[in-house]
Amino acid sequence: MIRLEKVSKIYRTRRGDVRALDKVSLDIKEGEFLAVRGPSGSGKTTLLFSIGGMLCPTEGNVIVSNRNLYAISKSQRAKFRAVNIGFIFQMFQLVPYLNTVENVLLAARVGTKCFGPEDAKSLLNRLKLSDRMYHRPSELSAGERQRTAMARAMLKRPGIILADEPTGNLDPENVEKILRHLVEYNQNGGTVILVSHRKEVDNYASHVIHLKDGHIQEYE
Amino acid sequence: MTVFQLIFREIIKRKLNFTLSLLAVVITVSIFVSFFTTGQASKNETIRLMRDIGFNLRIIPKKTDMAEFWKTGFSDYTMPESHVYKLASFKGLSYAHLTAVLQRRVIWKDMDVILAGISPEVPSAGREKTPMFFSIKPGNVYIGFEVARRTGLKKGEETDILGSLFSIEKVLPESGSEDDIRIYAHLHDVQAILGEENRINEIKALHCLCIMKGSITDSITMLREQLLGVLPDAKVLLIRAIAIAREKQRYMAEKYFAFIIPFLVVVCMAWIGILALINVRERRREIGIMRAVGYGSGRIAALFLGKAVLIGLIAAAVGYGIGTWLALEFGPDIFRVTANMIIPEIKIFYWCLIAAPLFCALSVFIPAMIAVTQDPAVALREK
Repeated sequence: MIRLEKVSKIYRTRRGDVRALDKVSLDIKEGEFLAVRGPSGSGKTTLLFSIGGMLCPTEGNVIVSNRNLYAISKSQRAKFRAVNIGFIFQMFQLVPYLNTVENVLLAARVGTKCFGPEDAKSLLNRLKLSDRMYHRPSELSAGERQRTAMARAMLKRPGIILADEPTGNLDPENVEKILRHLVEYNQNGGTVILVSHRKEVDNYASHVIHLKDGHIQEYE
Repeated sequence: MTVFQLIFREIIKRKLNFTLSLLAVVITVSIFVSFFTTGQASKNETIRLMRDIGFNLRIIPKKTDMAEFWKTGFSDYTMPESHVYKLASFKGLSYAHLTAVLQRRVIWKDMDVILAGISPEVPSAGREKTPMFFSIKPGNVYIGFEVARRTGLKKGEETDILGSLFSIEKVLPESGSEDDIRIYAHLHDVQAILGEENRINEIKALHCLCIMKGSITDSITMLREQLLGVLPDAKVLLIRAIAIAREKQRYMAEKYFAFIIPFLVVVCMAWIGILALINVRERRREIGIMRAVGYGSGRIAALFLGKAVLIGLIAAAVGYGIGTWLALEFGPDIFRVTANMIIPEIKIFYWCLIAAPLFCALSVFIPAMIAVTQDPAVALREK
């Protein structure tokens, strides 16, 4: 269960304050597939990073699995994230000098349970990357990079996957593949929060929220 | 992935950054090692060169008339030869390279010459030193340049001096001083010729700077106090120009070493620190990813500090090798007199293994803290 209580985030810039989130309150149930939609600058990524324990809100509480994420220490939050949350980014964010397996294993030793190369390879097989295991990110297509990033997020079977525009840089065929993998993950009990400006993601999500100027405009 | 695996992979990826950092430390360690390997030789060479300027202390009988002394160049009075042994036997004195001398002006072959009898150097108690002045075997003489020119005598010839036969062991080169009219012989030979057995009129010595600290004025006061306690019937003269030159040169050499090593270390640390800062900037996204997958501050810092320690360890080994090679290859050409003192110092290697990684880690401490404290959300949101 994820609960946001009147969460606001203000970015202080030289040109003045930017209110990215404005007293957002939201409940996301375990096993839900939530799509967060909205135009650029509406606060989607800020919301996602706040839920992921990566961005401390200016005010309000973010409670994930009964833990108030910003009431605990930075190191406790890092440990919590290592075990419970997987991130997928629009720009893939793979480490350029590691191959596919190594990128997936980046987080393998962090947290309570360790995962080995066999776990990574099995996951990569499922994501149809068996013939790209020892390639560097620069040798992979955009779709393959995103699936690698997805494998990294899923390796430790976290309860929550946070995906920030994961289909933003992909062609329609790869968009569908990625979304299908996320649905499969969700059907196995995982909570997925997907940020996107694509309308088609609504078809895969169990709920959709629309953000505009830091406010939730609609909840479907 | 372990921290070591990540460090290793990153080094392979960013070879230039690694190579430049390594180069900085290797250069510093090499210079440090070559300086220290040649250090003892350099120190001794400076001491020897300064020592070769000549004696800077003259101990003469107390009742010497100084006007007469400066006119003739030696004292008319004598003191027992045993004074030199007595002085040498006292530990902790600031006198070194003691040599007993008996000098007299004599007319020889229609020439006014100075006959100088010199004893072999008497080592000071507890301080065995290489002799700084030549010693002459009994029965032999060294003759000054002008004496040889006027008499036509050459090395290997024999000559009669006031009734005794001597072999000319050496003709001294032109000195441009009264040494050109000197005839040097063994002290006991001169004492016998002059009928002044067991008597000397001067002890030449070197003021030992290794014991003394402070100004020349302080030195002469202390030397006089020391002498008063041992030889109350003698007095000491300090040849200030030589003493000051020696002191300045010794301190200059010491100060140079004290400056150059910290300077090099600071430059090297700044170099590594700047490269580490560039590295941190380059790796902002990577750090963001690692944060996102749950890496804590300790693990992030370990990536940078671990790399620095690795650079330090490699540089210590490579730098020690290069530094030692440089010292052995070029040291003997620079320090010709004390060349045999240049040997590999394994103790320095152990110090390098400790100090180089430590300095590298210190150099990247600030960049590592920047990496730890940077906001991962900002880096990951950059398109």
